Amino acid sequence: MPRTIRILPDSVVNQIAAGEVVERPASVVKELVENSLDAGARTIEIQLRSGGKRLIRVSDDGSGMSREDALLALDRHATSKIGSAEDLRGVPTFGFRGEALPSIASVSRFALETYANGEEVGTRIRARGGTITAVEEVSRTRGTTVAVENLFFNAPARGKFLKAAAAEARVVSEAISALALAQPSVGFSLTSDDRTLLDLPSSTDVVDRIGALWGEEVAEQLLAVEAREGSLGVRGVIQRPDATRPGFRRAYLFLRDRPFREPSLLQAADRGYRTTVPREHRPWLFLFLEADPATVDVNVHPSKAEVRFSDRHGIETLVEDAIRTALEGEDSAATLDHRPRAPRLQVRERDAGAHGGEESEEESQMALFLASRSPGEPASQADSNVQAREERQGSDRQSLDRPDGEVPPRLWQVHRSWILAEVRDGLLLIDQHAAHERVLFEEIMRSFQDGEEAGQRLLFPLTIRLTPAEFQVVEDLGGLLLRTGFEVEGFGGDTVIVHAVPTPHPYFDAERCFREMIEELAHGSELVRAAGNQHERVAMSFACKAAVKAGQILDPREIRELFERLFETELPYHDVHGRPTTVRLSRGELERKFGR
Amino acid sequence: MKFSITRQNLHQGLNAVSASIPAKTTLPVLSNILFEAGADGVRMSGTDLDVAVRIRVAADVEQEGRLTAPGKKLQEITRELPDQPVEVATRGDQIELRCGRAHFKLNGLPADDFPTLPEVSVEEGWTAEGAQLLSLIQHTAFAVSTEESRPVLNGVLWELRDGEMRMVATNGHRLAKMTIPAESSPQTTTQLIVPPNALQQVKRLFDAADAVRIAREGNHLGFVSNGTEVYTRLIEGTYPNYEQVIPKDNDKFATVQRKPLESAVRRVAAVASDQTHRIRLQFSEGKVQFNVLTPDLGEAHDEIEVSFSGEPITIGFNANYLLEVLRYVGTEEVKLGFKAPERAATVEPVTGPDEEALDYLCLVMPLRLVD
Repeated sequence: MPRTIRILPDSVVNQIAAGEVVERPASVVKELVENSLDAGARTIEIQLRSGGKRLIRVSDDGSGMSREDALLALDRHATSKIGSAEDLRGVPTFGFRGEALPSIASVSRFALETYANGEEVGTRIRARGGTITAVEEVSRTRGTTVAVENLFFNAPARGKFLKAAAAEARVVSEAISALALAQPSVGFSLTSDDRTLLDLPSSTDVVDRIGALWGEEVAEQLLAVEAREGSLGVRGVIQRPDATRPGFRRAYLFLRDRPFREPSLLQAADRGYRTTVPREHRPWLFLFLEADPATVDVNVHPSKAEVRFSDRHGIETLVEDAIRTALEGEDSAATLDHRPRAPRLQVRERDAGAHGGEESEEESQMALFLASRSPGEPASQADSNVQAREERQGSDRQSLDRPDGEVPPRLWQVHRSWILAEVRDGLLLIDQHAAHERVLFEEIMRSFQDGEEAGQRLLFPLTIRLTPAEFQVVEDLGGLLLRTGFEVEGFGGDTVIVHAVPTPHPYFDAERCFREMIEELAHGSELVRAAGNQHERVAMSFACKAAVKAGQILDPREIRELFERLFETELPYHDVHGRPTTVRLSRGELERKFGR
Repeated sequence: MKFSITRQNLHQGLNAVSASIPAKTTLPVLSNILFEAGADGVRMSGTDLDVAVRIRVAADVEQEGRLTAPGKKLQEITRELPDQPVEVATRGDQIELRCGRAHFKLNGLPADDFPTLPEVSVEEGWTAEGAQLLSLIQHTAFAVSTEESRPVLNGVLWELRDGEMRMVATNGHRLAKMTIPAESSPQTTTQLIVPPNALQQVKRLFDAADAVRIAREGNHLGFVSNGTEVYTRLIEGTYPNYEQVIPKDNDKFATVQRKPLESAVRRVAAVASDQTHRIRLQFSEGKVQFNVLTPDLGEAHDEIEVSFSGEPITIGFNANYLLEVLRYVGTEEVKLGFKAPERAATVEPVTGPDEEALDYLCLVMPLRLVD
């Protein structure tokens, strides 16, 4: 009987593996750049020809390899980065499967040049379709250069799926952007057919890198985020709500320095933003997560694009809370400043020469974002930069969030619509309607929980005729309406009698508020569609319709009360429509404007 | 126009009139005061188009004439003039003031630009004692509504019946009603809705001793006494039937010392919600207990002695409304009446031997209590 089951030769196995790891030039670049990073490179240069279809060249100044190591690297599952299955948990390096180089080599014309300190001479290895065709001596500086030519020359089926050169180059650029964000201390350059696509100088600050990638104005719209809960941590920068736009977003998640995708974490982040941005807006996010390596599985996918958290709920809650907390602060307010201060987000410089398996690796990786921490301190302590920042925020808060502090800010109403507040660091312009919306929204949401809202009984009850659809809404909402303060009774037909009403301010028109609110809830609106649940729907609609209107003259006591109540809310800088309540103008900007 | 006037008379006239001048106006002539020199002295007028005030002051008129001049500036100048006669004269549209060695020229505007004051003939009207009028205004005007969707509630209802005058004001949450015996008027049953600004001017400009002639002409009301005139537009519309909401069947009554009650309300209200100011009162035999429970803030409990008759009752109020009516009721003892926790409570004065009896009633609608 002929044997039908055969062991595949290595060349075929590598091609199959290549199918998983090597999809397109961008995946080759990603694998090679990750190897460079793992080798402790300080500068990485990437060159493409025809979007990487003709040539991909990645050069680094990392530790390089000895000839033996270089030859071994082309063997499948040859890796320096783990030694046993136990090491898989909490792998600190990018690569560890030992699949990448042989896989890439198996579908291209491949050349590797490397030199490590202590070697007599450098090594050049050439391979074609995975078969080594030459091993030569070469003289070069420390580091490794890998050239991949004619990708998929022997796998035309895959080659056909490649897109136009420009599109492939764009994908490469995106892949490098993600890696470069996590590694601001490493300089990157990307050229495609001699055109420079990226030129990212080394920096200690992620925000600098964001500025280098997408422009300074993006960097200036960012807001620092930080939270920690047990072994879970998140740090990063997010877009200020007033800078968000609908449509395209940049959202990057990193676990230690690995970029990964996880839609549920982006959703958690969006939940953190809720009510501070319009529903269709997509805030930009750059979040660096930390977790006990034992609770994270990064080996879900060969390209390690996905990460599995054992405490998924915990990490989602942490992200949501971190963002919500950041949006509570004054830095999240819209600003008139031409050059608002950008936050700083420092990461630890990679240890040059730190290579997989070395004792210090785990340490340095865990400590990535804790720049000036001295070894031996618990990892949960924030670094001094973060502390300094928090101190600064803390003192700002005193002047703002606690207006009843030593010197209450002076307040004026301007154009019957805005409140101008003089605060230590400049001016705040507060939209009186938006501010009152935020106050009422949070009050109603609280009253839904503790059932403490009181309705003022009326001497002359309101008789209100509704459409059948509106009447239905009133019937369905019954209890919630009562919590907002409206006590409603059917009067036969589509008519209701309102016996008690809320009294949010002295100029409140209860009948109009009730009609507008019921109409909005019956027929929908942008605002109520943005709500997450029925409670929010009612609270948002009520807040919007009941808040003091623009054009209403407020007396000084009312102005002060509104100001104080605004800063008692959780998110004083954002109304319920996703618009700012407050625009600030810093003293520094004023001085600049007047040429001081 | 040319006249000589004492500084006091000029100052008094300007003070009386300038309060009716709008602080900001798009119509420049409204920031001016109209001077009219005639045989019987000088009349000064100011208006914001809703309420107008005209004062006659004694002066030696040398030459009759009319001119408007900036009210605030004249007031500032006159306040600091020496106590000497002031010579006032016009030259074209300028007004000239001479007093001692001081000499002023101010640009005015032609008198014809000034709005014509309503023509109300007080001979047709009725007379009210200043004291009565002031008392009515004092006890009711506070209760008008500040919310603009029901304009009639922004005014004070003034009812004239045979033999009595009554004022009522409400914002739909609380109501104040006061009645005073009055001489019968020719306009036997009249309902007027008067803007509270006008009543504030009346209160400011007339004395308790004045006999004030009042008359209505079309949509305007005029008050005249001793050369002082106040005119106002009336608010049009039908006042809600307030009689219907005054409870007739309250059957639980508490008589209580006003001052201790006010103090107790004020101190427990410190812990009440900033928005609703809700406090809870629990009346039973011999006492009223106060309870406030505000999430996030804390709680307050207190108790004072009262004389109470009827079934025990627990009722919630906006502390501010309660304090307000207690302040206006003003007597040493007050009487509170209740029917049920969702029905209107009444607050009435209890007049002691030294106090003048008042026909005065306030209603306060409760806050719904959620349990």
